Amino acid sequence: MPRTITLRDSRGEHRATIDDDGGVTVDGAEIATRIAGPGEVRVAEMGRAFVAVAGDVRWVFLNGDVFEIEVLPDGRRRRAAAADGSLTAPMPATVVRVEVSPGDAVRRGDTLVILEAMKMELPVRAASDGIVKTVNCQAGDLVQPGVALIHLE
Amino acid sequence: MIRRVLVANRGEIAIRIARACRESDIESVAVYSDADQDAPHVRAADRAVRIGPAPSAQSYLSIPAIIDAARSTACDAVHPGYGFLSENAAFARACEQAGLVFVGPPADVIERMGSKIAARQLMIQAGVPVVPGMTAQDQSDDGIREAAGRVGFPVVVKASAGGGGKGMRVIRDEESARTLIPAARREALAAFGDGTLYVERLIDRPRHVEVQVFGDTHGNVVHLFDRECSIQRRHQKVIEESPSPGLTPAVRAAMGKAAVAAAIAAKYVSAGTIEFLLEGSGDSAHFYFLEMNTRLQVEHPVTEAVAGVDLVHAQLAVAAGGPLPWTQAELIQRGHAIECRVYAEDPSEGFLPQAGPLLLYREPAGPGIRIDSGVVEGGTVSVHYDPLLAKLTVWAESRHAALARALTALRAFPILGIRTNLSLLIRLLGHPDIRAGRLHTRFIEEHAQELLTRVDPSLEALAAAAVAVPDQPSTARPPVEGAAADPWRTIQGWGR
Repeated sequence: MPRTITLRDSRGEHRATIDDDGGVTVDGAEIATRIAGPGEVRVAEMGRAFVAVAGDVRWVFLNGDVFEIEVLPDGRRRRAAAADGSLTAPMPATVVRVEVSPGDAVRRGDTLVILEAMKMELPVRAASDGIVKTVNCQAGDLVQPGVALIHLE
Repeated sequence: MIRRVLVANRGEIAIRIARACRESDIESVAVYSDADQDAPHVRAADRAVRIGPAPSAQSYLSIPAIIDAARSTACDAVHPGYGFLSENAAFARACEQAGLVFVGPPADVIERMGSKIAARQLMIQAGVPVVPGMTAQDQSDDGIREAAGRVGFPVVVKASAGGGGKGMRVIRDEESARTLIPAARREALAAFGDGTLYVERLIDRPRHVEVQVFGDTHGNVVHLFDRECSIQRRHQKVIEESPSPGLTPAVRAAMGKAAVAAAIAAKYVSAGTIEFLLEGSGDSAHFYFLEMNTRLQVEHPVTEAVAGVDLVHAQLAVAAGGPLPWTQAELIQRGHAIECRVYAEDPSEGFLPQAGPLLLYREPAGPGIRIDSGVVEGGTVSVHYDPLLAKLTVWAESRHAALARALTALRAFPILGIRTNLSLLIRLLGHPDIRAGRLHTRFIEEHAQELLTRVDPSLEALAAAAVAVPDQPSTARPPVEGAAADPWRTIQGWGR
């Protein structure tokens, strides 16, 4: 039975229909595919693609380019982005310094927190002007990605 | 005579050293932190010793832990690799005091050349040209700012104990100096435990060209030609090649001679590198001593390829008291080699290092292709260490052929699960200016728009993604042995 799924990339959503024989129709174009080995997909005319699955994301390597393509499960929406005003660590990191305190007025581009990861300093900067509402980290903390460090209003 | 070497490092360089030991009938002992228990470098050695928890300060940078590991396994020598303790004079001294041969230069040489300020003085005495600049007596932030003003903006502020761009800032005016000097000092203190800074005139759009040198304990010093390392990001090298397309034969000869003079002045033993900045072009180009790296370089494979030598074998032979395996007259530079450093980083997000699972990792192979890597498919890239995944080094008869070989290899190097700089490397090698040999150290910055823009997936890429849906195992999942080797598995709790 052919299946239809929705893929999302940087441009938007795409409908893909997958036949039982490996034929795929994407945005109306038919493309023959064949599973060629673990993680390896033969794609018509373009040679070998490599694919790995991480949750809802398909990582695809094709001729030196790498894409992260989201598969939208039926009836589910993409995870909500962090609420406006909260600044998060981009990766697991150690807090080197917190440059602001609650109540401080900050301008867009000001450095609020300095993180260190992989031996490099990573400044976390204000995305807009605002007032620091809460500071949820201190120097020495190991912080995880996605966790709010500072909340601005 | 060296029988057993402790390899005080991790990742690709620890594996490369363990291999050289095995080929020389020397046993190797790996060290590992808790994060590296199952790392490939642990398996590459004959034995392995746990040295501490994941943070490097408590493991790979802990002198007592490493000396203890060497003693408890009855090693007679220690190879430090690059990074970590490789340029730490106290570590070299601790090895000597523990009766261990340090595979590298003597501690006092590391100390002298490790102080950029002392090294500059020594080079001036030896007649090697240096970049105009100064060291402030007054090491306060105000003192450094005043020195910067006297050298004349734009300047580069550097950590005296520095390397790898840590503790280094380009400062273009007085105002930015107020924030950039303290930032440089913090980074220098954190990375080297020494916040001493000095100031140099900024040479605009220079090339970074270095010369491999090698000395032994019998007073012999040779150079093994040049390496062009101008393609950098965050002051760290990304692509290196030999020979440099920017040197005329006359300038190449003069640079080799200056590098040997520098190594002799430093009383250098083992493999080392004299880094130069090259300003201008043709026979009238000027070169200035930048710093000496008193260790094996990350990019040593390009020299091995064009000179037909094995630098780690030579290090082991010289450490055992032997003479250099080659004379200057025997060394020739043949063909062209290019190294690409494959990093776990996101070039379009400010080169932010990436950590996470390597869901799929397949290395290219073929004539003239060498891969030095420290990771495997199914492994994890840790937040604790350097984001270098692998080095791709190619050799071919000409620069043109080497570029084509490197491009072909990169297009057959799938790495999935974490973002890498692979597409950037491909765009760099295909760029007309790089193909024409027109390189400088700000190349990536100046061409960011064309080099770093993300491309949208083709319909073929979308089709490949569509068939990989894991809830259809009968079509999407071919049989594989063991779940650990299965790149199709869904990683729980991970994603973006």
